Amino acid sequence: MALIELKSVTKIYPLGNQEVVAVDDFSLSIEAGEFSVFAGPSGSGKTTLLNMIGCLDQPTRGEIWLEGQEIGHADQKMLSELRLRNIGFIFQSYNLIPVLTAAENAEFTLMLQRVDKRERRERVTDLFSLLGLDGLENRKPSDLSGGQQQRVAIARAMASEPTVVLADEPTASLDSHASEELLALMQRLNQEQGATFIFSSHDPLVISHGKRVVRLHDGHLESDQ
Amino acid sequence: MELFNLAWKNLWRSRRRTLITLAALSFSLMLIQAFHNLSYGVYSAMIDSGVRAGTGHLVVFRQDYLKTRDEKLSFNPHDLAGEIGQIDGVEAVLPRLYLPGLAQSSRESRGILLTGVVPAVERQVNPFLRGLPDDQWLTSLEGREAILGHLLLKELQLKKGNKFVVTLQHRSGELVSEMFRVHGVIKTGIKSVDKRLLMVGHNRAAAMVGNPDDIHELAIVLEDQDLNYLVLPQLQELLKPHSTLEGMSWERAMPNLYNAIRLDYASQKFIFVIMMLIVTIGVINTLLMSVMERFREFGIILAVGASTARLRILVFIEALLLGLVSMVIGSSLGSLATWYLQVVGIDMRNFISETLEFGGVVFDPIMRAGWDLPWMGKISVYLLILSLLAAVYPAVKAGRISPAAAIRHH
Amino acid sequence: MLYQLALRNIWRNRRRTLLTLSAMIISSALLILALGVFSGMLRDMLATATEQYYGHLVISAKGYQDDRDMFRHFQSDESIGTVLEQEDVLGYSQRLRSFGLLSRQQNSSPAEILGILPLQEQTVTSLHESLIDGNYLTTEDPNGAVLGSGLARRLNVVPGDQLVFVTQAADGSIGNDLLLVKGIFSTGDIGHDNSLALVPLAWLQQVLVLPGQVHEIAVKIDQPFNAASLAEKYRVDLHETLEILDWGEMLPEMAEVVASYDVSRMIIVTILYIATGLGILNTFFMAVMERTRELGVLMALGMRPGQIRVMILLETTIMGSLGLVCGAVVGIALSLYMALVGVDLSGTLTPITYAGGTILPRLHAVIEPGNILIPSVCLLIVSLLAGFLPANRAAKMQPVVAIREE
Repeated sequence: MALIELKSVTKIYPLGNQEVVAVDDFSLSIEAGEFSVFAGPSGSGKTTLLNMIGCLDQPTRGEIWLEGQEIGHADQKMLSELRLRNIGFIFQSYNLIPVLTAAENAEFTLMLQRVDKRERRERVTDLFSLLGLDGLENRKPSDLSGGQQQRVAIARAMASEPTVVLADEPTASLDSHASEELLALMQRLNQEQGATFIFSSHDPLVISHGKRVVRLHDGHLESDQ
Repeated sequence: MELFNLAWKNLWRSRRRTLITLAALSFSLMLIQAFHNLSYGVYSAMIDSGVRAGTGHLVVFRQDYLKTRDEKLSFNPHDLAGEIGQIDGVEAVLPRLYLPGLAQSSRESRGILLTGVVPAVERQVNPFLRGLPDDQWLTSLEGREAILGHLLLKELQLKKGNKFVVTLQHRSGELVSEMFRVHGVIKTGIKSVDKRLLMVGHNRAAAMVGNPDDIHELAIVLEDQDLNYLVLPQLQELLKPHSTLEGMSWERAMPNLYNAIRLDYASQKFIFVIMMLIVTIGVINTLLMSVMERFREFGIILAVGASTARLRILVFIEALLLGLVSMVIGSSLGSLATWYLQVVGIDMRNFISETLEFGGVVFDPIMRAGWDLPWMGKISVYLLILSLLAAVYPAVKAGRISPAAAIRHH
Repeated sequence: MLYQLALRNIWRNRRRTLLTLSAMIISSALLILALGVFSGMLRDMLATATEQYYGHLVISAKGYQDDRDMFRHFQSDESIGTVLEQEDVLGYSQRLRSFGLLSRQQNSSPAEILGILPLQEQTVTSLHESLIDGNYLTTEDPNGAVLGSGLARRLNVVPGDQLVFVTQAADGSIGNDLLLVKGIFSTGDIGHDNSLALVPLAWLQQVLVLPGQVHEIAVKIDQPFNAASLAEKYRVDLHETLEILDWGEMLPEMAEVVASYDVSRMIIVTILYIATGLGILNTFFMAVMERTRELGVLMALGMRPGQIRVMILLETTIMGSLGLVCGAVVGIALSLYMALVGVDLSGTLTPITYAGGTILPRLHAVIEPGNILIPSVCLLIVSLLAGFLPANRAAKMQPVVAIREE
């Protein structure tokens, strides 16, 4: 069975008095260990898809299965539990918690999972050295460069060893050099740790790194390579 | 005008914040106005009953009588009472004689204050006599009938109709005694009065000390206590030929009552001041926040060529609008509360069943508000000034924004 | 963890936090001060009545306090049981009372005369501390008298002068005798200053022809506010012809004023804290709203709405506690100043009679636990309440919407 199954998923948003169909009758399955990119212009529905897979949002119609569990109609409590255990998020604008240090940010989901402090530290130290963040543990986000912040965000997403890491336009705020580095890192994590990655992007650089490229247009599947 | 428009719109960009700030401002204004008006009403009632039983709104004494209470400082009013009665706004003029003495029944003696009054005038004015049936009231200036405080009656172990003896000092220093009969009993709720009051016709009392025409006090009751300041100069004019007499208003003549009100009001004012302080801090906070979160926006306004003065004025106008709106809402609510407190009042009998004496006056257990419109206006203006003052720091902050830094700021 | 996060969040916007804290501190500190001063006035009022005259408890023949009938006297060695030996009793004073006329030459004035034993009386009332001229009675004085200042002025006497006292004696005769003015006291209570005089007990017993008799035994106890329960306790010990009354029974109106103080205190606290609470509410709303996006991220990371709520409530609680501690410290410091130094208002105010006692023209705080605890606890409740709405709001956010928020 596939890791993620979307079956005829439709998402309609209200917008003022109108309704916007963000995703229209969309079906897709993703296997464990994939490194996929949702590509398409803005408004094509890729972020909506990521949000629904990430248990942040739920479809208007259709089913979403994550590891054999239907999440399209789960309750809020279950969704936050799934987000905590199974999903890692990487955001376009990093979204680190400004009052926490780099290491505390990375440890955050582990803390929510009540992993004990020593183990937390160990895991984050490993991740930080893997991501080239050694020595930055006690810095506040505001004292880090964009690339460094995004690497901390990756550490945060990876720390709890989620089933799937979702990255919404992860390079949009970075220069091409930093983007290249970041993508290489994620590819390494994908290969070495077997983590499943799903990106959304319209950046050709990101798309060129994808092993599978799902192209979207107006909420429809355009191509799948 | 454009600035006003812009300021108004800015305020409503953060609706909740503006509403909460307005609520705090209006609520405080309402409370302050309502409480002040309640006190104003209560004090007015206290003053009214106090002056009618006491020295009147205005009073004429022999000089030094107020200070020494020496009963030798009496005077013959001649036509003074009539002349004062002619002044506009005077409701009644009450001649009174006060003689400390000893009342003795067959068993007991008690210190008393023999009070000689003119029955016809006293009856209409003195609130102590309100509960007294007509047939218990004094009938003449010379009679031996006496009205006693109910505690005095009890302690002397007398009953209505009983005779007792009053002993006091004649002008000459001799002790003189005279027989009186219990004719009426009054209960004022003021212990010191109920224990010591002995009211008789003026002439009978005056004759005992040997000055049949003398009195100690001419209490002048006015139609309205605000007429005080109008009538007092006329009274003093009238007293000019009588160099030994002085006229004064109740504030001086009844320091106990006056100070009771002052003290009570001072403690209330202290609470008002704390409240205003807290609300002002709230306004500073609100304005400061709204300035800080518009950092970038202000930077852009500056970058396109607006002067810093304009930004500052904008902040002040926002404060002014906040102040004005809460002035209107707060005063409306305050008026509503006052109206309720005036019509319905607060019944203190639920809390305090005993009659309560404060400043020598029985406290009416149903507290009712009165309208003090000038004060309500004054306090609203204070609120407005405070909100403008609260804008000073945020405005300074807004003026210090450097456009380049602000635009970079995220 | 959540605690750490909350703590750091508080100091993100230092200026705003400090302003809000200052509002909390000002309101609670000044409130504590104001309540301390109000309690001080109540205390003064109670003291003028009890510690300058009545005592906290009074033992007398049944009905005596009602009409002060001269003939309701008793012998103090009569069965009063062990009341005077109880450990709550700090002192007691046997008294005989008479009403009569004091005269000196051309002046006379009605007066209330208390026959006392000087050493005993000093353990109950503080009149000996209020002397403005002369000395207090001593046990050796056969016919000394200490008068209130108003009375002395009316009689125009100074220490050393002689007075005549005239009254009705118990045998129906007219009792009169000479007194020698020893001292003059001024308490600020108009009633006492104008009509009270203390004389030796034996002297008055002789004038009234009541040898060995007294009218009352005034008792001073440790805790005035326990008077009612102690009176209840001691009552059983007394002979059936005697009764014991606490000050509340002798001055019911004062007892009610003291009792209603709790109500008025709550009213003041509530009113002030609604204003403060709205300010806190505003701050917390701002703090939550400006973090919408961040809260969305926290939720995306798997933080449950309940945890978000706890975090926000923790922030408000920490701030409330901080305000509470600082406010209480400042408030206690101000109250202590007012308790130790105080402000004398006698230049601008005269003493004011209130509910049978007298409010003295001074601002003088007393430190009472309730005056500190109630404002403090209420401040904490107010900050929790003010945190509740924003916390709820934060917990109800939709993560997708919150993250999109710019």
